[in-house]
Amino acid sequence: MWKMTEAGLTCEATKKVGDEVILDVEVTANRPDWMSILGVAREVAAIQGIKIKELKIKEIPAATANFPIDLIPNFDLFERWSAVVIKDVTIKPSPKWLQERITSMGHSPINNIIDITNYVMYELGIPMHAFDYDEISGQIMTLEKAGGGESFTSVDGESYKLPEGAMIIKDAERIIDLAGIKGGQNSGIKNSTKNVLLHVTIDNPVLVRRASIAMGLRSDASAIYERGPDKGGTVNSLKRAVGLILELAGGEIASKVIDFKKEKFEPKNINLTFDKLKRILGIEIPESEILKILSSLNLYPKKIKDGVVCTVPTYRGDIKIEEDLAEEVARLYGYNKFPTTLPVGQVTEEKIPYFFDDSLILKIKDLLVSCGYSEAKNLSLVSKALVDKFETDPKDYFKLINPVSLEYEYLRVSLIPSLVTNIKLNPLDVLKLFEIDKVYLKTSRGANEKYRVAGISTGKNFRDFKTAIDIILSKLNIENYSIEFEVNKKYLHQSVAGVIKSSSHIIGEFGEISPIVLSAMEISGKVYCFEMDMETLEKLSYTKLFSSIPLNPPQIEDITLVLPPKTRVGEVMKAIKNSESKIKNLELKDIYKDSYTFRVWYQDSSKNLTDADVKSIRDRILTLLKSKFGTSLKD
Amino acid sequence: MQEELINLRNEAIAQISSVENTADLEEIRVAYLGRSGKFTLLVKKITDTPSEKRKEFGITLNESKNTLERLISDKKQEMIKSISEKRDWFDLTMPGSKLDLGHLHPLTKVLKEVKQIFNFLGYQVADGPEIESDYFNFEALNIPKDHPSRDTQMTFYVDTKGTDLKPSETILRTQTSAMQGRVMEKMKPPFRVLAPGRNFRYEQVDASHGFEFWQVEGFVVDKNIHLTDLFGTINYVLKELFGKEIKTRFATTNFPFVEPGVDTYMQCTICKGKGCSFCKNTGWSEIMPAGMIHPNVLKNAGIDAAKWNGFAFAIGLSRIVNLRYQIKDLRTLTTPDMRILSQF
Repeated sequence: MWKMTEAGLTCEATKKVGDEVILDVEVTANRPDWMSILGVAREVAAIQGIKIKELKIKEIPAATANFPIDLIPNFDLFERWSAVVIKDVTIKPSPKWLQERITSMGHSPINNIIDITNYVMYELGIPMHAFDYDEISGQIMTLEKAGGGESFTSVDGESYKLPEGAMIIKDAERIIDLAGIKGGQNSGIKNSTKNVLLHVTIDNPVLVRRASIAMGLRSDASAIYERGPDKGGTVNSLKRAVGLILELAGGEIASKVIDFKKEKFEPKNINLTFDKLKRILGIEIPESEILKILSSLNLYPKKIKDGVVCTVPTYRGDIKIEEDLAEEVARLYGYNKFPTTLPVGQVTEEKIPYFFDDSLILKIKDLLVSCGYSEAKNLSLVSKALVDKFETDPKDYFKLINPVSLEYEYLRVSLIPSLVTNIKLNPLDVLKLFEIDKVYLKTSRGANEKYRVAGISTGKNFRDFKTAIDIILSKLNIENYSIEFEVNKKYLHQSVAGVIKSSSHIIGEFGEISPIVLSAMEISGKVYCFEMDMETLEKLSYTKLFSSIPLNPPQIEDITLVLPPKTRVGEVMKAIKNSESKIKNLELKDIYKDSYTFRVWYQDSSKNLTDADVKSIRDRILTLLKSKFGTSLKD
Repeated sequence: MQEELINLRNEAIAQISSVENTADLEEIRVAYLGRSGKFTLLVKKITDTPSEKRKEFGITLNESKNTLERLISDKKQEMIKSISEKRDWFDLTMPGSKLDLGHLHPLTKVLKEVKQIFNFLGYQVADGPEIESDYFNFEALNIPKDHPSRDTQMTFYVDTKGTDLKPSETILRTQTSAMQGRVMEKMKPPFRVLAPGRNFRYEQVDASHGFEFWQVEGFVVDKNIHLTDLFGTINYVLKELFGKEIKTRFATTNFPFVEPGVDTYMQCTICKGKGCSFCKNTGWSEIMPAGMIHPNVLKNAGIDAAKWNGFAFAIGLSRIVNLRYQIKDLRTLTTPDMRILSQF
């Protein structure tokens, strides 16, 4: 089993039924031949170094009658169309062996003719179909593309409306076959059928695929056609099926063998040079081994000057170029026999396109973790309900045409709604979550994908929440920012929200989630949130140069001010800092009712400040604050 | 003079022997031997001494100073020793004060490791769009429209109304491999690229499938890249991530953008190869599809496939995280439940 998987024919389970073994294989899109017993047998033989027992396929006997049938080919639809008429068959159940095989392939036996067409498809790998000859009106079959909307009833009695472009076969009056997918009920084999038209076709893979996807009708036949079965093998399949029909259903050949083909479909020659093989694989496989492998795959290698020329059989349509032959050699040599190396080559100094440095993202993640925030990963797709609950406009979102469910239909434009949703998963007193990822902004020119950092906190303490914003901005050395109170985000509380700006850049927003949103989300209590744009943070952040330790020590004192109601302490602090260059640092130590205690560092790099110096600075500031904010010194 | 000197010395010795703490001892040292200590001042008086007694005075003075210094030093050592012996009972089992730290997501942790490993191998990281064109996601990768391999990558289509984007050509990327064409058409080889990111596939959600998942695409284009280099790179990376003991094996597979195609299996870290639900009882976990870049992919990007070749691989990052932490359900990663997050 592993040997098959190693060679590319993934086999994960086997089952013994009587004397036979059923292999459950997974066939890759490039190998239509593996969708048949013959193809799997050939592969196993190549792996094991043995020969397969060739099927003895008899020639079709000469016709004893000449039933007219007129096939009108169209090589854009069928590249090859091989057919024959058989008269006087007896429809009856298949013999036991055939019924068992049909059952073991997961189908129910129907009657001898239909079972034979199915069986030969699995045996040799090309789909085929049997029509009731007497139902083919006018003894004519025309190939067409459906215009769309036509009604069609399949052999199993299901009714369909055909999609545009589906390949159909019409007789003189009606549609009798949905080519490559399902036969029609009108021309199907019935118990009363006497004469049969059997055809093996190579259908246009794209048209089969489109129609079968559009109709949601995926069958083994359509899967084989999409992969492109053996164009050289139709007549052989016809012979095999005819042989079985004559044996199991009786009858006689009643037409000549028709075989319309776009071209000859003969084996192709492809060269493989040993140098190229060595370059691709990195090892030198002995010539004799290469020849042995290629021969075991029926690729008929012939030695030429620098390598071999292979004659690729028509059932190996996947082998088109030298690299394909290299894979054949490598996979049967055994990937796990290869030594391992690391690439030798150049490492370029040039930055690659789309170069991405995530060091700032990682830095901010670490900072947020140290502020007590845990990292969430939410899905990018959100529901219309969430879009609505956050009072955002669905028109601003990219949406999917084919979502898996309405829960996951819109591409988020903010990280906050998902984080707020996460609160419901976590019934905790204090929950702090953050996320750094992309949002997908819709612009007329296309998608603007931007990295954002967002966080939510359910703790009641605003200062405890705000720490994260302060720390991010200060560790990035973004000092000159202001907070404005005009916020155009409806999901934020009208009076508890601000925009963080620095000169012309909008860094982000923060504040409290609107009670209306919270009530729609069925979340109680307060939720604070922030969201900042990573690109803007990156642009504004910089590396601060070292400044030497001032020789003169600072004078440090605490000042308690009484602030009039509705005074913004951030603005007071900004005014203090901006008023005097000798104020080197300022912190808010404590708040008690309307009294705010600040710790102030006075320092002058050129001299030691005396008490008189400090007093004069302090007096100036107090006067300024009094006139600007109406503050007074607490005694 | 001589007598004064000896008295002073005796007085100092008496004080040193009766002192009780190191601070007082230091005070004594300063008082006798400091810059304006009593002995220091006596030195200045040497000129007052009759010349015939000067030598004797000098010797005694030096001896006295040396003695005092030695006594002070000894006393200090003795006191430090007794302090450290006399220490009160102390409970070292007391826990530290609590700091409420948050937790990094396991995807972040593992991706960081993956990037470090590849940086060491000379790869640069690229980041590209998730709302992608059909061209870069499929066609540039040798997957024409209507190719059956698209079945394994069922695609979400984005409604382009109100934008200049082409309808039915605008999708959510199904694979980070979409970055191959983007980088290749903008830069001449050689290059080594790592492109991590989120992908989307139309799939019903279960324990091992999600419609959003994370991959790390890697690709190298250079003059002489071999299949053995790909095997070596994969082995190196998996051993760095999971330890030297892990077992890997390679199988042939088919993706239209590689030839030869490779699938990597790693022994399941959850059951150690015995077989479990995570590895579908095979003992092995499919972890890294890869292969030699198909010449058509290079040609599509305008790279001369006769001169350059390369390999590409895709690491299922979500799967690596699951194997690393033995998480059995993929959905765990996108469930921000603190009972989950706080474990990392």
